[in-house]
Amino acid sequence: MSRTAYLLLLAVFLAPAVIIYSTFSIYPLLATIFNSFYDRQDDGTSLFVGLSNFTTLLSDPTWSAPFWNAFRNNCLFFLIHMCVQNPIGLVLAALLSLPRLNLRATYRTLIFMPTMLSVVVIGFSWQLILSPLWGVAKMFLSFFGLGFLFGPWLGEESTALLTISLISVWQFVGIPMILIYTALLAIPDELIDAATVDGLNQFQAFIWVKLPLILPTLGLVSVLTFVNNFNAFDLIYAMKGALAGPNFSADIMGTLFYRVFFGNQLQLGDTSMGSAIATMMFLIILTGVMIYLFVIQRRMHRYSF
Amino acid sequence: MAEVLIDKLCKSYGSAEILKDIDLKVEDGSFVVLVGPSGCGKSTLLRCIAGLEPISAGGMTIGGRQVKNLPPAKREIAMVFQSYALYPHMDVKGNMAFGLRFAGTPKAEIEARVAEAARILQLEPLLKRRPRELSGGQRQRVAIGRAIVRKPQVFLFDEPLSNLDAALRINTRVEIAKLHKLLNATIVYVTHDQVEAMTLADKIVVMNKGRIEQAGKPLDLYYKPANLFVAGFIGSPAMNFLEGHVTGSGRVEAAGSGLTLRLPSSCKPGDKVTLGVRPEHMNLGAAPGPLLQAQVDLIERLGETGYAHLRLPTGQVVISEVRGEPGHVTGDSISVGFDPVRCHIFDAAGRRIE
Repeated sequence: MSRTAYLLLLAVFLAPAVIIYSTFSIYPLLATIFNSFYDRQDDGTSLFVGLSNFTTLLSDPTWSAPFWNAFRNNCLFFLIHMCVQNPIGLVLAALLSLPRLNLRATYRTLIFMPTMLSVVVIGFSWQLILSPLWGVAKMFLSFFGLGFLFGPWLGEESTALLTISLISVWQFVGIPMILIYTALLAIPDELIDAATVDGLNQFQAFIWVKLPLILPTLGLVSVLTFVNNFNAFDLIYAMKGALAGPNFSADIMGTLFYRVFFGNQLQLGDTSMGSAIATMMFLIILTGVMIYLFVIQRRMHRYSF
Repeated sequence: MAEVLIDKLCKSYGSAEILKDIDLKVEDGSFVVLVGPSGCGKSTLLRCIAGLEPISAGGMTIGGRQVKNLPPAKREIAMVFQSYALYPHMDVKGNMAFGLRFAGTPKAEIEARVAEAARILQLEPLLKRRPRELSGGQRQRVAIGRAIVRKPQVFLFDEPLSNLDAALRINTRVEIAKLHKLLNATIVYVTHDQVEAMTLADKIVVMNKGRIEQAGKPLDLYYKPANLFVAGFIGSPAMNFLEGHVTGSGRVEAAGSGLTLRLPSSCKPGDKVTLGVRPEHMNLGAAPGPLLQAQVDLIERLGETGYAHLRLPTGQVVISEVRGEPGHVTGDSISVGFDPVRCHIFDAAGRRIE
C-alpha cells in the first residue's frame, strides 16, 4: 500500500470519531471559553473584554456572592458524596463479596436499581415521600413513635442541600458499589487464604490485604464522584427548580450557570457571564482531575494477579 | 517438627462427599506427597490440614494436639500456595514478616528470622523488591521463605511447582528436597506430577475419588501396587493391563493366547484376572517368559530408549520400552515377551494377588 493510500485510510477510519468528538465536545468547550472573553452589547454585537467577565464574577458582590455560595454548596455536595456514598458503596461491595451470601444477585440488582431510574422520577418521588402534608416519611416515623424527628427538610435553608445530597447518594450508591465489587472479585482467593494462615480474620484481611489492593479503584471512584458532582444539575433542578431554594441554599454551580446563561423569571439570560461561569466550572474540574492524575495516581500501584 | 495424625476424616459439601474416611499418619520429619488425578480430593485434604476447610467428621492431631477446631494460624503450620499468593503491595521482606507482625513477634526476632530465611533461600538482594519485580522462581522462593519464618511444625505445599517452566521445575524440586534435609521438616506436599512424587517423597499417598488407594514408600508403590488404580497411576508410560482368566494350574488365557505364569494357589480355574506389565519390563523378541504376537503400530524414539506401541491380535495396544536403536518399522510383525516375575496379577475386584 502506498503511503498516500495508507494516510487516506487512516483519515477515513479516524474521521467519524474526530468529527463527532469535535462537533459535540471540543467545539462547544472552545466556543464557551471564547464567549467568556466577550461582552454581548444591547445592539447584538460582541465586544472583546478580556478577563473582565471573570473579574466581575469574582469581585463584584452582585456576582461573587452567588458564585461563592454555589461553589461552597457544591463543595459540600461533593463532600457528602465522598463521606457517605463512597464508604457505603465500599461496605456494600465488601458485604456482597462475602464468600457465603445468599441472594447475592438480588441485593446487587436492588441496590443498583435507583441508578437506572430517571432523576426526574427520583426527585419527584422523594418530594412526595418527604412532603410535610401527606408524605409517607412523616407517617413512617410517627409509626415508630419518632414523629418528633420529622421536619420539612426540603423546605429549610439549613437542611435542603443535605437532604438533596443524601437523595443523590441513595440514587448513585450502586456505582461505587459495582466498581469496588468488581475490583474485590479480581483479588484471588489464595491471597486471602494466605492471610488466614498468617493469622488474620476476615475483617483484618479486608483492611490489610484487600483494601490496599483496591486503592486504585477507590481513587477512580473518587475522581468520578468529583467530576459528576461538579457537573451536577438535574436532581436539584428537578426538585427545587432553577432557583435552588429556599434562598439559594441548594444552589450549586450547575444551577447558577443555568440561571445566568438561559435566564430565569426576571433575570435575563447573559451568555457572556454564563460562559464565564461555565469556564470556571471547567477549570475547577480540570484542577481536581489534574491533582488526582499527577499527585495521587502516580503514587499508586496497580496490581495484576 | 511434629507428626500429623489424621483419623477417619470426612469432608463433604452439602451432599457431595469429597473425602471419605481418610486415615493417614505423617511421621515426624517425613516428606509425604499426596498424588492423584484432578478432583481426587488431594488439595481439599491439604486445606483441611491447614484449617482452611472445616472437616465434617473425624479428627486430626498435629504434634499430639487436637487441631480440629483451631484456626489455621493456631495450628503451627505454614502453607505454600500454587499461585504463591504473595501480597502484591508489600516487598519481599514485608511478605515474609507480615504473619509474624500479626502474631506480635518482637521486632528483633522478626528481623533475625527474615534474615535467616533470606540467607537460606538466597533472597538477600531481593528483600526490597515487590512480587511483580520478581521472576516466577524468585516468587516461589519468597513463598517458601514466608513459610520458613513461621517456624511451623508442618509445611504444606499445594502444587508449588506447577507454575514454573520445565527447567526451573527440576531445579526447584532439588532445592525443596535439600531444604527438607536442611530444616528436618515435616512436609505434606500435593502434586499431580508423579515424577515429583517419586523423587521427593518418603511416603506417597495415592488418592482417588476422595479415598486413599495406597500409601507407602515410592518404590513399594512402584513394585507392589495394591490395586489397579495405583498400578496404572504410578509409572510412565502407564502399566499395560491384559484381561484374562485362569484356565488351569499356573496357566492364564490372556490377550488371545495361553500364558504360563506362576500363579498364587488362591486362583481357581475360571477366575477373571488382570495381568499388569510395565513397559520397561517388556522385551521385543526373546524374553525369559511368555511371548505375545504383535504388530508394530508406532515407535517413539527418545534417544537412549524408545517406546514401541504394539497391537495385539485382540486389537489392544500395549507399550513396550525398547533400548538402543530398534530396527522395526510400523507394520512389522514381532513377538514381545515379559518376565513373569515382573508381572502383577490383580483379581476381578482390581486387588493385587500375591
